[in-house]
Amino acid sequence: MQSKRVKYFAMLVAALTVCAPLFAHHGAAAYVDKIVVLKDATVTSFLWANPHSIVMFDVKEDNGTVTHWAAEAGSPSAISLLGWNRNSLKPGDVITVYIFPAKSGNPVGRLNKVVLADGTSLRDSQLGGEKKSSQ
Amino acid sequence: MGGIIFRWEEASEVPAVIEEQAALIDCYSGESDSDPSQLQTVRSSEMRNLLKFCIVLMAGALIIPFQASGQDSPQADRASNSLYNKLGDTGSGGTAPRRDLTGFWAGLVEPKLSEVSPYTPWGQEQARLHKSTGDFSVADSNDPAQSCDPLGFPRNMLFMTRGIAFAQMPGRVLELFQYDRLWREIWTDERKLPKNVGGDTADAPDPRWYGYSKGSWEDDYTFVVDTVGIDERSWLDNDGHPHSGDLRVQERYKRVDHNNLQVTITIDDPKTYTKPFVITQANFKWIPQQDFEEQLCVPSEQAEYLKVIGDPAAHGKGQ
Repeated sequence: MQSKRVKYFAMLVAALTVCAPLFAHHGAAAYVDKIVVLKDATVTSFLWANPHSIVMFDVKEDNGTVTHWAAEAGSPSAISLLGWNRNSLKPGDVITVYIFPAKSGNPVGRLNKVVLADGTSLRDSQLGGEKKSSQ
Repeated sequence: MGGIIFRWEEASEVPAVIEEQAALIDCYSGESDSDPSQLQTVRSSEMRNLLKFCIVLMAGALIIPFQASGQDSPQADRASNSLYNKLGDTGSGGTAPRRDLTGFWAGLVEPKLSEVSPYTPWGQEQARLHKSTGDFSVADSNDPAQSCDPLGFPRNMLFMTRGIAFAQMPGRVLELFQYDRLWREIWTDERKLPKNVGGDTADAPDPRWYGYSKGSWEDDYTFVVDTVGIDERSWLDNDGHPHSGDLRVQERYKRVDHNNLQVTITIDDPKTYTKPFVITQANFKWIPQQDFEEQLCVPSEQAEYLKVIGDPAAHGKGQ
């Protein structure tokens, strides 16, 4: 029991010192708190827009059906500090998408990051994962 | 996911923050996802001890951030998209010029906020009506910012505070904001602040989203601004704290040296809160290139966002 309590303590310290502000962040209430990975996603459009940029892409299922996704990211001025630009994604690009999907079950979500065909990783400004990724 | 089969897999390397976030939920609920069957056997006294851990840590979490210097807090780490964090330690830059704030300054996108004072009954009723995006999806929130309505003051000093600038001229100081590319006029001449904004008389001035402001130098490096007449439709901050038309805000800008500017913002609204309180103490850094980016809330682009993302995220097959 003692070791379990120590484990709880460690988890709580980590959570409260790192994640409490993120937990309450604006706009995140609609999304599950787990990242899923969508491989071989084909970009259909990239909206470099304010206050949210939007990446739209298609993912082909094993049964051949295609699901059209839309994922939000930060504003141009926010994500440009993380290496994005208005030409980062073009229709037809095949990428891997790390996303916090919507609780609603619809194919929308908040980006964690995208990984381009050349291996370049572009993170979101709000829920882009590891700390100091932009440093 | 509502029966839809997506070709996805859970991330093999889920960032640690996500797992820690789940742990935070466990703290609130008093449950553990790591071994629920064992947890059910925990004696009640041990459960109480666990809850004591939670309470003590929650208290610590509330206190510690407000004692931090500002740029190294967890919230600062999260806001990695800010120019403020990118700049890092810019040093002092030498002595500050006397009675001069002129220039472009980078701020934390979301400065740390302190606890608000207890509500009055009227304030409590107003707060109940505000559905912030911290608690609701953007589609279900009634945050005025979701329709690109003005943030208003002081919310624009507490949220999306990416950059501010000052331009001093005879009789007034202009304060300019990167977000929404707007400005405030701060009178420094002999004018007095209006006393009956929004009143019933014909000569009563209209409430303004950014109020009426008057400033003066308290000493060579401290500029104090008082603001009244703020439109009640604006929210005090991103969490949806309300305010009344009686709100008075005081900003104290202290230029520490050439490269560093501090502001302390005090809220005094006796109709809404039982006593005045400092809502934030924020730091700004001199922007080396002395320039802003353009950042707007574009109504047509926000409408597209709500249609493509906001509504589907909030309402769908899983609801």
